[in-house]
Amino acid sequence: MFEFGKKGGPDSPGDTPPTAPEAARREAPDMSTSSPKPQATPGSAGRREAATIGPSIQIDGDLRGQEDLLVEGEVNGTIQLRNNSLTIGAQGKVMADVFAKEINIEGFVEGDLFSSERVVVRKSAQVRGNITAPRVSLEDGARFKGSIEMDSAAVEAALGKSQGANAGAPRPAVTAAPKTSAPEPREPAGPVPGGTLRSGAAS
Amino acid sequence: MPGALGFSAARQTPEPAALNVPLFRSLIQRMQDDARRVVLDLGPARPETVAMFGQCRCRLEIADLADGLDALNAIADPGELQAACAALLPPRRAESTDVVLCWDLLNYLERPALRTLMDQISHRLAPDALAHALIVYSTPRMPARPACIAPDAELRLHVSPATAEEKPAPRYSPDELSRLMPGYAVERAMLLKNGMQEFLFRR
Repeated sequence: MFEFGKKGGPDSPGDTPPTAPEAARREAPDMSTSSPKPQATPGSAGRREAATIGPSIQIDGDLRGQEDLLVEGEVNGTIQLRNNSLTIGAQGKVMADVFAKEINIEGFVEGDLFSSERVVVRKSAQVRGNITAPRVSLEDGARFKGSIEMDSAAVEAALGKSQGANAGAPRPAVTAAPKTSAPEPREPAGPVPGGTLRSGAAS
Repeated sequence: MPGALGFSAARQTPEPAALNVPLFRSLIQRMQDDARRVVLDLGPARPETVAMFGQCRCRLEIADLADGLDALNAIADPGELQAACAALLPPRRAESTDVVLCWDLLNYLERPALRTLMDQISHRLAPDALAHALIVYSTPRMPARPACIAPDAELRLHVSPATAEEKPAPRYSPDELSRLMPGYAVERAMLLKNGMQEFLFRR
């Protein structure tokens, strides 16, 4: 009767890629001082490894990059990885609007999430915010409060606006519908990361 | 006689009871046209719900009210209750809401809280918006906390008890619900096999 997962919409339960965060960890060099460095996976030579914000790192401000990122620390501000994936690990705490190609969440997020491919909310995740993405999947046990934009036309419009906004300032609103709750994404102020970085301040 | 929403049966079998819900089925079938809708889900985020509404052109707003119901019931001051209800709901947007999914949550609201919450919701509804609810009707007791309810591909609802503890059921009658929810008219009501009354309200 009703086929879950057709029309390229949000994924059906259990259709989540099981290896994304694990793969990110496996490939990630750890920039923090508290965690052991993960070993490179055999056969991964030549592949770009994911950067890691370790559990003891806190970043306040705007964070931009051109590589995959694993966040196990704390980020407050904005994250922009338009062509790459972001994984918020189980220890990660992100209070930010996020723009990424793919977003995997195992930890805590408060903010609006924009993804051009998919958002995966894992069972350990706690998310408060609005998700705009062509595909969204949520695992049993995940806590989510907010809205999920399911209308492909609205998703394209929102992502198009956000991409356009990325090109220059001032930045317009990035949602398809008028929004009253979430902050506007802010223009990054400097090099990546663009804010303050503290080590050992993460909770 | 089985308990409300098949909870007694669910406790005896490993799989949650699948409940045939004709009005829910008709509601979802109506949404399979190409019109964009805004759906307000008062319950917790469920993978199955996200997957199902991903097949429609819609924005799914998830309020996840279950944990806040006791707090609402404890508030005596009408103004304070109004503010608390507003705070629990997602931020109001310019786009009005077309469908409200109450699941079994209304059974857990005392009369002042039920009246105030549904009044708050009515102000954000589109003309002819629909609200779906399951009301304990035939059985004097119900589980002490709202159940986890998930739709399946056949548009039945799978009900998982959140607790084995029980409490007296308010057993709201259609007339009483009409008095408590003056902004809504009962479009259809059906007595289900498990003793629940299924309601479809129209604004």
